[in-house]
Amino acid sequence: MLGTLLKIGKMGIKEYLQYKSVLFLFTLNRIVEVVVYIFVWYAIYNQTGQIEGFAISEIATYYILVVTLVPMSLWGINEDIAYSIRKGYISRELLNPISYFTYYFGKNLGEMGFGLLTAICTFIVCNIFWTVLMPVNIWAFIGFICILLLNIPISYFLQMIVGTCGFYTNATWGMQILRKSIISIFSGLIAPLTMFPLTFQKIANILPFKEFFYTPINIYLGKIQGVEILLIIVKQLIWVLIMYVLAKVFFNKAVKKITINGG
Amino acid sequence: MSIIEVKDLEKVYKTSDKESGIIGYVKHLFHPKYKEFKAVKKVNFNIEEGELVGYIGENGAGKSTTIKILTGLLTPTSGKVIVNGKVPYENRIENNKQIGAVFGQKTQLWWDLPVIESFRLIKKMYKIPENEYRKNLKKFSNLLELDELLNKPVKNLSLGQKMRCEIAATFLHNPKIVYLDEPTIGLDVLVKERIRKFIKDINKEKNTTVILTTHDLKDIEEVCDRIILIDKGSIIYDGEKQAFKDTYGKQVLAQIRIKNKNTLITNETIEDEFEVIEETEDFLKIKFNHDKTTIMNVVNRISNFCEILDMHVQEQGLEEILKEIYRGEVVC
Repeated sequence: MLGTLLKIGKMGIKEYLQYKSVLFLFTLNRIVEVVVYIFVWYAIYNQTGQIEGFAISEIATYYILVVTLVPMSLWGINEDIAYSIRKGYISRELLNPISYFTYYFGKNLGEMGFGLLTAICTFIVCNIFWTVLMPVNIWAFIGFICILLLNIPISYFLQMIVGTCGFYTNATWGMQILRKSIISIFSGLIAPLTMFPLTFQKIANILPFKEFFYTPINIYLGKIQGVEILLIIVKQLIWVLIMYVLAKVFFNKAVKKITINGG
Repeated sequence: MSIIEVKDLEKVYKTSDKESGIIGYVKHLFHPKYKEFKAVKKVNFNIEEGELVGYIGENGAGKSTTIKILTGLLTPTSGKVIVNGKVPYENRIENNKQIGAVFGQKTQLWWDLPVIESFRLIKKMYKIPENEYRKNLKKFSNLLELDELLNKPVKNLSLGQKMRCEIAATFLHNPKIVYLDEPTIGLDVLVKERIRKFIKDINKEKNTTVILTTHDLKDIEEVCDRIILIDKGSIIYDGEKQAFKDTYGKQVLAQIRIKNKNTLITNETIEDEFEVIEETEDFLKIKFNHDKTTIMNVVNRISNFCEILDMHVQEQGLEEILKEIYRGEVVC
């Protein structure tokens, strides 16, 4: 099973790399975003002097990491599911000897793989223009990677839930926007979570989205350490389970709808 | 035991019955009304292992619905389907492992990647043993001439090349049953020939059961032994292809070149003897029934009115028979 998933993932990456300029353009796009974010935050620092919990050197690293991580946390197979439903490829894909759910997890791995390539390129290029802080120690780096790995299933199951809505509406564009907005606010993408009101932070602590950006970057910068990291990992594992059950229930119901009423 | 058993199969589609306009739309939101449409009615058939079955019918006759139920993509409203001991719509994934399917233009090949990549994925997904995979790939490459195609991206292939690869992909894991829904649509004569030959060869060698739906009746003429004809959701014929032709294809078409015509032959025809389809000064096209008269009689009769120069008699093909059945001229 793992072999099949990795094969599908590899094919997904290859599919991107068929077009030679695609990696270059995606990276360029990321770097433009970095520039925008960093200019905005420099302006804010110049106005207010100090932002809670983050020195100006840290905020540059924070945003370079945010933009680097976006391909792996926000991208995925959403559009692919909508496309497969709209164009009717789903009836072909449901005839595979592995479930649609598993098949698309493989495809998602492909997206993640390409995201990782883009992320590495972005990170390297950013190192040329800005001084990017390195992880405080090896453990911080390992923690950082662990959290990111656990994000993959959470993100995928969430996308599957959103994608499944497409079985009913035939279009998921609106739902995509909603998903991206919610993640952007609760993950620390728009601004570090310490800048939000306390009640908001409490909600963010429960939801899994904080771990998409805010938590791993803080581990990287050494602001979260030790046992706290382990607790976060436990929290994420619980979320993996919850999202899995939700996605599976949603998906099975939606497939029933197709197979009973006809595509 | 038959490999496919279909018993009292029925499928009812519910379609929403909206009134037109915004008011109709709003009304539908609160009081949805549904129309029921029976796509398949009490269908029964059994298919034995290794049979080549042509499943034919007009557009909208219920062919695709039946195929979708057989592959497990649709759940029937009532009735029972067993495919090689499994109920496909309850055990879709298990059923998928033993079947192969081609659905018109919906490809299972990855658009941007070389064909061979898709084949390798199929090998992984179906867990095809390495030597089996190599053997099949080599054989299929020969039969369908895939050698130069395998390393080209699918998007660069022509329709015919794509379909050849698609067919090879479908047979790669030695499926027990293969459903081919319009496999030759839009292809040129040579590619069609090659695909037909391939299906026959594989059937002979591996005893693969093939169910073929198509509108190109030459596919059926050349490939299938058995015909199931469905019309408005019910099966109206199920049996040997030759028997079908013998029963319904009694009409004979004759094209006659004549000269020195002395009268308008159309006016002279006697009921039940033959029917003139086309008549000009030196040409006559007629149709007659084997049961009711013989060629000798027809020739004698016509020679009363003119001299016969040349005569070309043609048995009715599957296509003509079906045309008449669809038009309601012949009742099964």
